[in-house]
Amino acid sequence: MKKFGWRKSVVAAAFLLSLAIGIFFVVRAVRPAIYWHYHKDEPIESWMSVGYVAHSYHVPPHVLFLALGLPHKPPDKRPLSEIARAQNRSMDEIRTILLDAIVHARPPYPPPPPPPPDPRSSP
Amino acid sequence: MSITDYLLAEMSVHGVPLLFGVVTVASVGVPFPVTFTLVAAGSLARQGEMSLLPIIVAGSAAAILGDHIGYGLSRWGGRPLIVRISRRIGGEHKIKKAEALSKKWGGSGIFFSRWLITELGPWLNVTSGIAAYPLRRFVIWDVLGEVLWVVLYVMLGYIFSDRVLFISQIMGNLAWAILAFVVAIILGWRLFRYFRPAAPAIE
Repeated sequence: MKKFGWRKSVVAAAFLLSLAIGIFFVVRAVRPAIYWHYHKDEPIESWMSVGYVAHSYHVPPHVLFLALGLPHKPPDKRPLSEIARAQNRSMDEIRTILLDAIVHARPPYPPPPPPPPDPRSSP
Repeated sequence: MSITDYLLAEMSVHGVPLLFGVVTVASVGVPFPVTFTLVAAGSLARQGEMSLLPIIVAGSAAAILGDHIGYGLSRWGGRPLIVRISRRIGGEHKIKKAEALSKKWGGSGIFFSRWLITELGPWLNVTSGIAAYPLRRFVIWDVLGEVLWVVLYVMLGYIFSDRVLFISQIMGNLAWAILAFVVAIILGWRLFRYFRPAAPAIE
């Protein structure tokens, strides 16, 4: 058996450390994958726009714009954090409003009505 | 409002020019969440708010430009300074060693830091410049790696346009896991060599 000098000890420790870091990141990568598999929907975050939330949750955008009291045309592209600040609401309130509108736009509820006419096109 | 909120909000308004600016600055070394921005741009393309081809062309061109700024500044700005200092304090052989190491491993380092471990990209630009890694070879590895990076992440965003958050989290963590396992394999190989019985010496 060869002598296990300090240099080899350092290499062995670095080997175990890099293995542990690799496993740590695999676990971190698997977690969202499992969440994705079971939940399908992403959690609503402050960077998302109303259009993205509608796209991600597969509901018509006008339903969410109306729920937030915003005109659906032209589409408001601001992130939710900015809308929350402008409306003096917390992100939690915005999230609750959107999730409530999403639930009511999906089965078993009847499909949402078509968007109201564009106010710009009326005389 | 976080930097991610701001970037994404502005990108859906200003589109490709903003993407170009963000990717250039990030490639020089400013820590922007740029991989996530590319995934989001792919998603915006799927939603019809941007076009796919301009995103890919502008993203690749910006990344290549940013890398060359980093490389150029360190090769023609930083390197002469370091050479002068090391001549004074007597560390010239270390620069020679760094140059040799860069020539041997630089290509794969540049390529993989373009698209896999992108956080290391700006550092590799600087070390390649300081070690005077040949420009022609730098250009080849850089272009290959950056185009792959942009196409990969924009297309992931395009395909999984309703799962931008999940894709970014999964890819970000997987990249670090791959890097850690590559390091573990290299160290494991060294350990294996330590404990392998030595070949009988030939007299």
